[in-house]
Parts: sequence; C-alpha cells; structure tokens
Amino acid sequence: MSLSNLIDDWSRYRKGREEGGFHDYEHMWGMSIDLNKCIGCNACSVACYAENNLAVVGKEKFEKGQGMHWLRLERYWDEPDLGEERTTEFQQHGASFLPMMCQQCNAATCEPVCPVAATYHTPDGLNAQVYNRCIGSRYCSNNCPYRLRYFNFWSYYEDSWPAPLQMQLNPDISVRDKGVMEKCTFCVQRIRTVKDTARMEDRKVRDGEVQTACSQTCPTGAIEFGDMLGMYDPETGVAETKVTRMWRKHQVEFGKTKQNKQTPDMRGYRVFEFLNTDPCVMYLDRVREV
Amino acid sequence: MSVLQHLPPGRFIEAAGRGSRQTKHTVQVSFIVMLLMATMALFSANVNADVPNAVPPEGEYSGIHVEQPIEFPHDIHADVNEINCMYCHTYARRSKVAGIPPTSKCMGCHSIIATDKPRIQKLTEYWENKESPKWKKVHDVPDFVHFTHEKHIKRFVIDNEDLQVENVSEVCAFCHGEVKKMTVADKVKPLTMGFCQRCHQANDGPSDCWHCHK
Ligand code: SF4
Ligand code: SF4
Repeated sequence: MSLSNLIDDWSRYRKGREEGGFHDYEHMWGMSIDLNKCIGCNACSVACYAENNLAVVGKEKFEKGQGMHWLRLERYWDEPDLGEERTTEFQQHGASFLPMMCQQCNAATCEPVCPVAATYHTPDGLNAQVYNRCIGSRYCSNNCPYRLRYFNFWSYYEDSWPAPLQMQLNPDISVRDKGVMEKCTFCVQRIRTVKDTARMEDRKVRDGEVQTACSQTCPTGAIEFGDMLGMYDPETGVAETKVTRMWRKHQVEFGKTKQNKQTPDMRGYRVFEFLNTDPCVMYLDRVREV
Repeated sequence: MSVLQHLPPGRFIEAAGRGSRQTKHTVQVSFIVMLLMATMALFSANVNADVPNAVPPEGEYSGIHVEQPIEFPHDIHADVNEINCMYCHTYARRSKVAGIPPTSKCMGCHSIIATDKPRIQKLTEYWENKESPKWKKVHDVPDFVHFTHEKHIKRFVIDNEDLQVENVSEVCAFCHGEVKKMTVADKVKPLTMGFCQRCHQANDGPSDCWHCHK
C-alpha cells in the first residue's frame, strides 16, 4: 500500500514539474511568514507544544539536542562576536528571528531515504509521518537539510505530563512513544477536521478556515497559512487565497531553485531553495535600518 | 498490496482457532452463505443485496464477551420492534462517535413500557438515583486511528439514494455485525487495518495513510 503510494507521489510530483503545475493535488498547504512582523516571542512554539502533545524534555536532554520543538525560533545577531570587552551575556540590539518548522518540501529529501516508507507525500501536498510505521532508523532526519525532524529518544510520556497535566493532551493526535521520528505536520488534525466538516456540508474548504496553532497564536500575525491551489479564477471570479496572493506579490514560485525578482521590494525567499527541495514555506526578509 | 501491510495480530488467529462459538449450526450457515455468495458473484458484482452501491467488508472476529451493567437486548429493540439504530445512537450521523443514548432516552419509553421486567426495574433504579449505567465499550479502535461515523453514514446512507433509511442496520452491520440478533453487542468484526483497507479499496475510499492515522 504505502510503497505504491510513495511511487505514485513521486510520479505525481514529476508530472507536476514537467507540466508546470501541481493541479492534481486536492489541496496544497503552504505558509508565508513575515519576518518584519516576527518579534521573537516564541508564542508560536508554545502553541505547537500544546496543540501537538510535544514532550517537554528538560534542560539536560535539551542540551544534548534531544528537544522536541517542532517549531523552533532561530536567533541570529548582527554582530555575532561580542568582542573582548563584553559586559553583557547577549548583545543589546541586532537580533533577528527565524521561526523554523517543517518546510513541507515538495521534493522532500527525507522521503526517498525512509526504508519502510513511513514518511511520504499525501495528496494534500503534505509531507506525512506515520508513527506506527516508523522503525526509528533516523535516515530522514540525517537527510533533512533543515534539521527539522525530531526523534523520541525516550518514552517522554512517562514523566512529561505529570498528573493532572495528561488531561491537556490533544486527543486528535497520538502521543508518540520512544523510537519514532516526528515533525511539524502543518497541524494535520485541524486540516482533517475542517475537511470533514466541509465534506459533511457538501462544499469546498474556504480560505482561512484552516488555521494552524502557530498562526492562530502569533500576536503580530506573522504567519499566514492556506491552500496554495487557490488561484484567481477569472471565469468563476473566485478570489485567490491570502497565501497565494503573498507568494505572487513577492514573486516566489514553485519548482525553481532561484527566484527572478524584478524589484528589491520583493522580500520573499525560501530557505535553501538552491537545494531544489521546493519547500511550501515562504519567508519575507526582514528590512531594517542599519 | 505491499509486504509492509500490517498483518492481523496473533490473538485474532488464536480466537479463530478456539472455536468456542463455532457450532454445527454456524458451519451450516457459513456453507450456505458461501454458496450464496458464489452464486451472487456469478451474476452481479454487488455482493450484498441489502445495501445498494456498496461492497460490504469481509472478515470475522470472535472476541471476549463484555458484560454490561444491564443486559440490554438489542434484538427486542431493533429486530422485534424495528426501532431504527439511529433513534438511540443519534450521534452516529452527526459526529465521530455513535454515542450511547442518555438514560432519559430509555426512560422516555420505559416509564410506561415493560415496567414489570427486572431489567427495566434496574434501569429505573439508576434513573431515580440520578446515575447512568456504566456501559462498557465493545468496539474500540486504537487511539492512533481517526474514525468518524458521520462520514461513513453519509457515504452509505445519506448519499445513497437507493437505500431505504429503515435498512440502516444493514450498513451498521458492515462493522458491527448483526447486532439486531444479539442481546448485548459483541465484537464480531476484526476492525483491523486490513479489514478497513479492503473495504476502502472495494468502495473507492481513501487509501492515504494520514486519512486515518493520526
Ligand atoms: S503548523 Fe502546527 S505542527 Fe507545524 S509548527 Fe505550526 S503549530 Fe506546529
Ligand atoms: S508567535 Fe509570531 S511574533 Fe512570536 S515568535 Fe512566533 S512568528 Fe514570531
């Protein structure tokens, strides 16, 4: 089953590339993150912990690199070196932040290396992880250029949610045990619920109906989430989705390793685009006075 | 089908071998059913005549009998009195879970009907003590499975124009067996991944892992 799924996904992707579109997907979820708006508050990361039953591993394990933060805030400094006369632990200014979650690559490097096809591409254009199938070989994580896959080294459920904290676990997503890989799912449980509701009401999913936990929580509205297939249709007059509009405005296109920008106002970029991973998350560069 | 597909767990085989529920009668019946199915397969692709536009899933299971606080007779309600399954399990068409009716629903009829029966007297006792009977779960899918009743009911009942809604029990029987011939419901279908997947293939259901695994 999964093997044929995997092969189908790749042929679908190749076909899309050759014919210049991804249109036999049902949806294609994408994001646009405006770094001008991001204030580095970490609320998105906390929201993700709460929504997706992420284990809090404690300082010791975190230092060993065993943290389970599906969304991490990367911090960069204008002047990384504090110099000899450092008076403070950190610089007083010049920080910029980069929220990094799974980039949901179209040509995902993690997928073809999984020996048991536990990670594969869904008809929604998502990069899926099936916990039951995962045998914990960790090939995918080693092959991810973004390092956005997290491995359960321990049975965190034993002490991560001491009673009564287990009551806050989200029933729509399983609590992973030791030995499986996990990563951002674009809050697939929310997508699933919205799709189910739309199906029950015999209609299509509306733009903005699916909200990921991170985009819902962001106080500055830096994270936009939506269906990338919602193009403007002159015949029916259906408007394009917010995310598609952002991508078009900043001239970021799928299937490219380098974007052609006409003006410097177009701030959009995708991380490590040149690796041809074709990610679904676009970042808008931060502009600042120097 | 790939070799990676999950095979049914060992206890399934063990239960089939125990054969405590296999009487001569069942053997005869299954022989007749096999004959019938063979004949039907010859004439039409639709194996089950009762539910149009659907291929019922295949698979049997014989599990452990679950004792309930009151031995609720499904047969008297659904078979003899022909009460629709969805009258009591009213959430089946509206949500993920089919739901157990509240005691008030039972009392709606049983404050008048059959009040002399011991089981009803037990129920009335619960009702007067403002308690609900602690029914035990019989059909339980693992926590990592997303299953919704409403979408299945929509596909096989609501969107199925050829099906009379009175016959909804035939659709329920796909996964729950002939509950209207049982007293307390027993699990008679395996509800394993293979069981679901074979039905999804036969009825053009989704086969994407993330449709059901969460
Ligand atoms: S989309 Fe959902 S799973 Fe992914 S980082 Fe945001 S909150 Fe976490
Ligand atoms: S919640 Fe919004 S502003 Fe805060 S760190 Fe996340 S993206 Fe940035």
